[in-house]
Amino acid sequence: MKGIKKDFTLFAILLIPIGVAVNVVAGELVELLKIPLFLNQIGTMIVAMVAGPWVGAITGGVSKLIFGIFNPTQLAFMPVAMASGIVVGLLAKKGMTTKVWKVAITGFIVAIVAILIATPTTVIVFGGASGTGSDALTAIVLASGKEIWTAVVTQKIFVESIDKILSIFVAYMIVRKMSDQYLSKQNYGHLYIKNKTIAS
Amino acid sequence: MEKLGTFILNLYPTTKFLFAVFLMITPLLLPGYLYSYLVPVLCLIIAIIAGKTKLYVDIVFKGLLSIVFMIFLLQSFFYPGDTILWSWKIFSIRQEGIDFSVQLTSKILAVGSAIVLFFQITKINDLARSLEILGVSPKATYVLSSALNIIPEMRTHLLRIMDAQKTRGVETEGNLRIRLKAFFPALTPLILSSFSSTDEKAITLESRAFTARTKKTSLHQLEKTKSDSVVRVLLLILFVFILIWRFFL
Repeated sequence: MKGIKKDFTLFAILLIPIGVAVNVVAGELVELLKIPLFLNQIGTMIVAMVAGPWVGAITGGVSKLIFGIFNPTQLAFMPVAMASGIVVGLLAKKGMTTKVWKVAITGFIVAIVAILIATPTTVIVFGGASGTGSDALTAIVLASGKEIWTAVVTQKIFVESIDKILSIFVAYMIVRKMSDQYLSKQNYGHLYIKNKTIAS
Repeated sequence: MEKLGTFILNLYPTTKFLFAVFLMITPLLLPGYLYSYLVPVLCLIIAIIAGKTKLYVDIVFKGLLSIVFMIFLLQSFFYPGDTILWSWKIFSIRQEGIDFSVQLTSKILAVGSAIVLFFQITKINDLARSLEILGVSPKATYVLSSALNIIPEMRTHLLRIMDAQKTRGVETEGNLRIRLKAFFPALTPLILSSFSSTDEKAITLESRAFTARTKKTSLHQLEKTKSDSVVRVLLLILFVFILIWRFFL
């Protein structure tokens, strides 16, 4: 418990609303550019990488709350966003977000966790539908005679893995571009500082 | 009508919240789907009275109807059952699937429209203040209201960056690859500049004793009125009545 409280410094708290706003605006940009993905957890991932898993989880949760104002079905996926924040944060602490190949592994793990949580939500709460174009994929698998669980898992594997892996790479690229001086003020910023004499 | 509208909008945020929770829980308690389908209609009437018709209708249509439609499509074709209503080649619509969709979508619509209505008739700043009065940390409510304030600011910033990048020759229209490539030059400067603004924000907040461990005063005044107690008591009576009717009669 004490460790969690220690993560919430003033600086970390200030990152949360910005992470949330980044999620929302990036989500809108994706819609504007008509890209068939969500990419609306980039802010959560950045915050989780530099400020730790718990701050990341709150960022994910609050962003789903804000998404929920405009689309209430999003509220049901709050656990997915929070889990993404926690997983990225925990792996980042272990140094799993400092190199490209490590980021790829982290992306896979985040995607698996997201699939594991999002699938039951979609099947139980929404009867397998998600209200987006990817429902066509669910329908195709169902039409081939498979069960609803198989169909939704297949759809999630496609959508979530591409989405989460791409998101974490964007997050990684942006964290890499942050200045040493800025990173040094973050709880876990020292992991990404280029000039190692400052870090030590 | 107008009087009733201001009456609704002036209710205390937690009263509105209790009302929304009431609208969300009762459809799950009551059997059948008729009442559940009435909840969105009831919410619509309240939205009209409160003068939020357009926003309410927009969000319900955009957010909820597409998923409701997809549920009907998926379930009526693929739900296991024997009563075939209509079929074409390998596709057939079954009665069981329709029944299941009606049940499920009625609940989703009821809960969803109650949430939409709550956020339309409640200002987030009022909600944040009422949470503070309930004992929630000002830091938590700051996060909520600050996020909502940053979003429009960041949106205009994004459009400015996109214009600048277009001038530079970044294409934003064309096939998927071109559009995906436009995503990064628009997003990276936006995120970096927004994150680096935390420095000044920290100084500003610190100079106003944000982290000081004292009782904070607020300029934002919220008051519970007689109408809040009336609404709360009415909700409680209705709820108890429904519980008794459902489980004891």
